[in-house]
Amino acid sequence: MSETTTNLPPTTSTAIADISKRLRANFQTYALVVAMIVIWILFFFLTDGSYLSAQNFSNLFRQMTVTALLSVGMVLVIVTGNIDLSVGRLAGFVSVVVAFLQAYTWNQILPGHQLLTTILSVIIGLAVGTLYGVFQGYIIAYLRVSAFIVTLGSMWILNGLILVRTAGKTIAANQPMFSHIAQGYLPAWGGWVLAGLIVILLFYMMFSSRQRKVKYGFELSPLYLDLIKTIFFSALIAGYVFYVNQYSGVQNPVLLLAVIAVIVSYVSNNTRFGRYAYAIGGNREAARLSGININGNIFKIFVLMGFLCGVSGVTLASYVGYGTIAAGTGYELDAIAACILGGTSTLGGVGTIFGAMIGSLIMASLTNGLQIMNVTAAWQYVLKGLVLILAVYADVYFKKNR
Amino acid sequence: MSEDVILEFQNVTKKFPGVTALKDVTFQIRRGEIHGICGENGAGKSTLMKILSGVYPWGSYEGQVLYNGQELKLENRSIRQASEEGIAIVYQELTLVPSITVGENIYLGREPVEKGVINWDKLYADTEQLLNKYHLDVHPQAIVKHLGVGKMQMTEIAKALSENAKILILDEPTSALAAAEIEQLMEILRGLKEHGVTCIYISHRLEEFFHIADTITVLRDGKMIISQPTQSLNLETLVRNMVGREMKERFPKGNRRPGEVILEVEDLHAMDPEDTNFEILKGVNFNLRKGEILGIAGLMGSGRTELVMTLFGEYGKVSQGKVKIEGHEVKIHNSRQAVINGISLVPEDRKRHGLVLMQSILRNISLANLDRFATFFSIDSLHELRESLSFAKSLAIKASDLNAPADSLSGGNQQKVVISKWLMSKPKVLIMDDPTRGIDVGTKFEIYKIMNDLSENGIAIIMISSDLEEVLGMSDRVMVMFEDHSVCTLDIAEATQERIMALATGLASN
Repeated sequence: MSETTTNLPPTTSTAIADISKRLRANFQTYALVVAMIVIWILFFFLTDGSYLSAQNFSNLFRQMTVTALLSVGMVLVIVTGNIDLSVGRLAGFVSVVVAFLQAYTWNQILPGHQLLTTILSVIIGLAVGTLYGVFQGYIIAYLRVSAFIVTLGSMWILNGLILVRTAGKTIAANQPMFSHIAQGYLPAWGGWVLAGLIVILLFYMMFSSRQRKVKYGFELSPLYLDLIKTIFFSALIAGYVFYVNQYSGVQNPVLLLAVIAVIVSYVSNNTRFGRYAYAIGGNREAARLSGININGNIFKIFVLMGFLCGVSGVTLASYVGYGTIAAGTGYELDAIAACILGGTSTLGGVGTIFGAMIGSLIMASLTNGLQIMNVTAAWQYVLKGLVLILAVYADVYFKKNR
Repeated sequence: MSEDVILEFQNVTKKFPGVTALKDVTFQIRRGEIHGICGENGAGKSTLMKILSGVYPWGSYEGQVLYNGQELKLENRSIRQASEEGIAIVYQELTLVPSITVGENIYLGREPVEKGVINWDKLYADTEQLLNKYHLDVHPQAIVKHLGVGKMQMTEIAKALSENAKILILDEPTSALAAAEIEQLMEILRGLKEHGVTCIYISHRLEEFFHIADTITVLRDGKMIISQPTQSLNLETLVRNMVGREMKERFPKGNRRPGEVILEVEDLHAMDPEDTNFEILKGVNFNLRKGEILGIAGLMGSGRTELVMTLFGEYGKVSQGKVKIEGHEVKIHNSRQAVINGISLVPEDRKRHGLVLMQSILRNISLANLDRFATFFSIDSLHELRESLSFAKSLAIKASDLNAPADSLSGGNQQKVVISKWLMSKPKVLIMDDPTRGIDVGTKFEIYKIMNDLSENGIAIIMISSDLEEVLGMSDRVMVMFEDHSVCTLDIAEATQERIMALATGLASN
């Protein structure tokens, strides 16, 4: 009967205990980051250093964006205990629609308005993805057909629609302004201005969070700890900008991905919508009895997923510069694998956007490294599959033997 | 020491990092007896049972466990080995496959096979024989999910016995049973004794020990406190040994002063949402006052849970009758509307319906109340933390910090988390469905105190309970349900166990 009763939040414990506790709590995340760095170092030696050259480093991040955009939404879908098999084909369909607009429609009705037509292409691309999400989400959430079945059906539907739109041909979408979306770079000074703004924001957030803690009467963690943390992340960002500037500068699609990942990550932790998603996946019945609108929440998740397929599809069209019948094939599996690798539980309730981003980066790092080493596509698949299984086994193993 | 001892613990100590779950536990269990083990949550009962089932294998603990005079050496997680040795456990949470028959469940994994094909006739004949031998009144071909909890438990016991169990361990077998079913279970256990089966009986319902146990062992904080014949003990000494201090009364005295009527239920009828021809409530009438505790008594399946779920908008479809809150008729179609109307529900099954076990205590407490801290764009997490902390403190939730996952807590503390969640929503009416099920005596007392505090502050409480003493000890009035309708509401002064039982079993009608 004399156990410690409810303590204050972790801020009351000593700084070192606090750090080691956090380290243990986020063990999986750090393990992933370490795994990624190990992979980088391994390829660095296997490719005599060319793997981590500024050029390849820059490309590596660029290559992950299209599927990573999908995995941002996929995390939340899986967290609610659902799955979406249609994301690859939906992104593909969006890319084909956008390519068609770029290649034919605008030439006929709005010739010469490059800026306007590019903006219109983007808006229509996002709208197509979102609308499909509305359609799919309605059936899953309100008509109660399982997500697996609905999205499997959607895969075929979208397959057909892609064939209709392309008529089996490749559609070129390589207008300069449109291509700039996913192939362009910020100028070097732009990268630095951006880095500066982010650093200012990080410090502002640190201080405002401390102020709010004082207002609510919580004890503060030592200032130097917060400072070290903020300086560390600032240095990471500055380092990234410095290195990619050695090549062509901050990559537009990576910037886009970062903005979206940060926003969705914030939403997942700090809004009711996000919190409810985790509660629904963790225990649907308890969530329902807590007064949460389950159907509405799942509907919104699929609409968000549709929107992100739109973003991914536009990026895809701009990145490769054409729409083809194969666009987006298999991306759903890459997106799901990235989530799983990043610690998302297939049983629902657990998973982070940050984890999925690291997962995406690991998958992209592997593909890229194997390509440089001239490993054939066939063996790339075999190795990626093995890594996925091994990673999940390692997780199971460490959880059991902790 | 010449008695026939089947199982003996000698100086058993089990340490976990940071905690010693068992300290030097020594006691004996005689062949053929019914041996009761009791202790508060965390006293070490489950650790002891896990040693017997092989979850904590031989070598992972200190000391010896002698079985028929020889040291028991179980391998890691080898439940099969334990059952081959003749040790079987019937867990609190039943472990049957709901969609298949009683017979299939009993012989699951050991089906009689001829040339690779299951011999169904033999399987059901064996089942029948087994059930008859121990006077278990279950049909071999009944589908398990259609059975009541009591019969499921019989099936579980039959399964254990079919493996020739010499020692049958029952872990809180009665926590989900109503009075009549408990009596039936007691009969079965007495029958087993005649067949020479030794029973280890773990329960939080101490009265039961005096009906059935030959010997009682009390554990506290991982130590064996007493192990004595039942005749030499009484309820008070038992409780004192369990909690390690005097407990003068099981129910704290409140100072409740019921005020005006806040909830009125008039002739409420409701349908099963999945089968709209099937009526699950057939006329319920009652009212509830501010600051009052209304007990609802009735057997399992009498419609108690259906009633509160219907009031909460989550199960039954109201087909007739009215629900009024503060004089205004309300129509509640889902839990959200219930919460908005000031009704909260602490559900019967906290793990399935009350908590998101993998999430932190903090997130569980705030889950139903995020509207209070949130704008569309963000949740004020510090505000959330501060309010949750104040509830965690006032209910004395024992946890290292609020970021610990809910499943790391003991049952009693989990229940406090569920209660905190619903108190934060500032309810006018708090429905508590079996609020102390599976919770130890000390924590029960704390929960009763919390209930008193709440009603003294004007919250109206509806409490369902299978424990009649609890109903009598805590309620201002008692409503009795029988066959899906309310029979009558008794003032606490006129309510006795006998009267309630007569009403709840249909022997009396008013």
